Amino acid sequence: MDLLEYLQTRQKQDADLFLHRMVLIDHTVTLAGYTSLIDLPQTMMLLQQQYQNAIAADQPLIALGNGMGECLNDADEPAVVSAMSEGNLIILHELSGYCMKITPVHRTLSRSIEAPSTENVVRGSISAFNEDLDTNIGIVKTHVMSDKLRMHSYWFGKVQRRRAMLLFMEGQTNPAFLDAVTRRVESRLDRDIPNLLALSKALGFPKWTLVTRYNTTELPENVASALGAGKVVLFLDRFPFAMILPSLMMDMFVEENDRNYPLFFLIAFRLLRIVGVLVNMLMPGLYVALVSVNPDVLRIELALSIARSRVDVPYPAIIETLLLLVTLELILEASIRLPKTIGPTITMVGGIILGQAVVQAKLVSNILIIILAATTIASFTVIGFHNAISIRISKYLLLILSAVYGVLGLFVGIVVVCAYLASVSTFGIPYLYHWKARDQSDG
Amino acid sequence: MDKSLQVMAMYLLTHIGLIFFLYPTDIIGSLSVGHWSAILLGFACHIAVIGLFTKGLSYAAPKSVIDIFLETGKMAAVLLLLPVLLYFLMILIITVRAYSEIITLVFLANMPLWAIMALLLAVSTYISALGIESMFRTGLLVAVLFLPFLFLVFCLSFQNVDWRYIFPLMDEQAASFSYVFSRSYLLSMFAFTGGFMFLGFIPPYVPYNWRKVMWTASLLLPVFLISTYVPLLTFGQNTASQFQFPFIMAIDTVNVTWLMFDRVTMFFMISLICFVVLFLSLIIWKTTELIRRGIPSVHPIRAKLVLAVAIFVVCLYIPDWKHVEELLWWNTFPRLYVMTVIPIATLVLGIRHHRKGVACP
Repeated sequence: MDLLEYLQTRQKQDADLFLHRMVLIDHTVTLAGYTSLIDLPQTMMLLQQQYQNAIAADQPLIALGNGMGECLNDADEPAVVSAMSEGNLIILHELSGYCMKITPVHRTLSRSIEAPSTENVVRGSISAFNEDLDTNIGIVKTHVMSDKLRMHSYWFGKVQRRRAMLLFMEGQTNPAFLDAVTRRVESRLDRDIPNLLALSKALGFPKWTLVTRYNTTELPENVASALGAGKVVLFLDRFPFAMILPSLMMDMFVEENDRNYPLFFLIAFRLLRIVGVLVNMLMPGLYVALVSVNPDVLRIELALSIARSRVDVPYPAIIETLLLLVTLELILEASIRLPKTIGPTITMVGGIILGQAVVQAKLVSNILIIILAATTIASFTVIGFHNAISIRISKYLLLILSAVYGVLGLFVGIVVVCAYLASVSTFGIPYLYHWKARDQSDG
Repeated sequence: MDKSLQVMAMYLLTHIGLIFFLYPTDIIGSLSVGHWSAILLGFACHIAVIGLFTKGLSYAAPKSVIDIFLETGKMAAVLLLLPVLLYFLMILIITVRAYSEIITLVFLANMPLWAIMALLLAVSTYISALGIESMFRTGLLVAVLFLPFLFLVFCLSFQNVDWRYIFPLMDEQAASFSYVFSRSYLLSMFAFTGGFMFLGFIPPYVPYNWRKVMWTASLLLPVFLISTYVPLLTFGQNTASQFQFPFIMAIDTVNVTWLMFDRVTMFFMISLICFVVLFLSLIIWKTTELIRRGIPSVHPIRAKLVLAVAIFVVCLYIPDWKHVEELLWWNTFPRLYVMTVIPIATLVLGIRHHRKGVACP
């Protein structure tokens, strides 16, 4: 009984591991597994019940393996341990050394399905993915009731195992793209995926990038529409969202939930988001350019009023803008960490006290406060928090260029940003690609 | 996959970038009455040139013009393409230098010239280093962002127009085409033929439909007409001929009361300069493509960097606007070569390739 001894020594290091002896049809067997993953009393009841049936059918213990679990013949110790860490129950028959892997009754370790927390839905389905992979797949299945839905399951990692599922629709996905994705995933299964950066690295995306190559979403509705459009969806266990590959620029502006509104509103929302992005990127740069480099562009009344509001401000416009922008970024960053109960206080402190005080102390001009407030709000009109971050970053490039070259720097900065976006691609699919399902013609 | 839309956008942008600064000056300077005949003649040349060129290319599709020339033998290809390389280098130097000068003249008067040249070169080298396909996608994105704005400015530019200035429509000089060999008319041809060569370099990377590009070319005719006639109709021939950049002066007279900006011109000009940056990156790419085909061991990105630095240094040695104009004039000769020899040679070689292909498929 090498295996049993091995498990017993392991139990000394691993308090979570249980070894429970029980009698099943005259045979003494040992059950092994992790208490944190398995509901032992329920599982034992299940086993007893199964064996009652076996006795009634007059079947030997070994034959039951075919019906209940998987035999681990000549199983080595690592295979048994990895089966246990995946949440299975191991049954060891002491006399014959027979070893069986059984799916037990699991403990309930995940929350129930809740409303999304980072993507709000006003009109439409509000169930969101939760951390548990199987629940997520179940939710997707209820949204996509199609026989074309295909799934591949993978286990990533050697030290920290993590399950992943790749979903796509048969016949809808571009075959070259699908092939590239699956080949890449299959060749990197030995990597640990503790976070999304590691996933990016495993998928071969560059580390230094402003645009994430996959879109994350909490909403099953978005996954269903992405699958229908021929995209590939990746789920990781313990991540409460789906990753949609490839990520495209239009995903910043277009959301499936828009289609729950009349067409006119749909177009208006999308235009509004585009305006939001432009405002967010351009406004701080434009302010700096107009105030410090090209004041002649402004209408004279406006130029005077800006000049008047900046009369006592001691620094150049770029420092003034950076000062306030960094403060706003700090508030944003802090408000993510804060408990929900303190959020409103911070809004008040940040918005009213800080804003008012900073103007009265003549640290920044009134107009800058207006511009930066609009900018910050506008950056969140885009869909997805990850997209909002990339937008937030790119305005600093435009800001610096405008501080040096004025309006010229601003516009050249736009071209640089456009060029950068144009150079991004995911498995050969450019970021600016206008995605269509495969049965439609490629545009 | 057909990427005609990207090619059309890039084609429009690069040409629009070239038209509005120097072209009206040259046309207004080359004749005093009946400018339309000069514009139409130039435009007809343009259509003929790209017609011959794309027809020749379509016979040998999807080969680039370099491949087509290489079929005749390496020596002949080098002899045919060497003037083209020279032409590209000259265009790069002239464009960077001239547009930096324009930028300092019209706005950014306190900015040193080298800083602006460095910006233009750095950005265009960066864009060209991203690769030809990214470049064309950039072109499409920039077109979507900027063209509606330009269209608005075109509409506004007619605000101060006096249509009586359009007369007289014709005189002896215009009718006899005697202006054709005048210096300023030959100079004006750069707007027609500066950008077309890229159509020959991209087919292996960015396939397109040449008919669609020809249709896009017809969109340029109103743009050429607007660039000359708006200043003419606003100021009249005598005044317009005094300005260095007549079209920009004409837009400067436009007053939009509902806009918070006093000078819409500046945004207009800067958009054009962004188009010029795209144009520059396209030429940098073409030049390195030529160099790389000649010397295959050259690393493309390093070549681009060396090229950019070399151009920067040469530009620093051009002392003033007079020398820029001189260079522009010298560039007329390689330009005439590129306008005539290259399209005809492409057509002849393309037909030969086609026949060979038909004879032994």
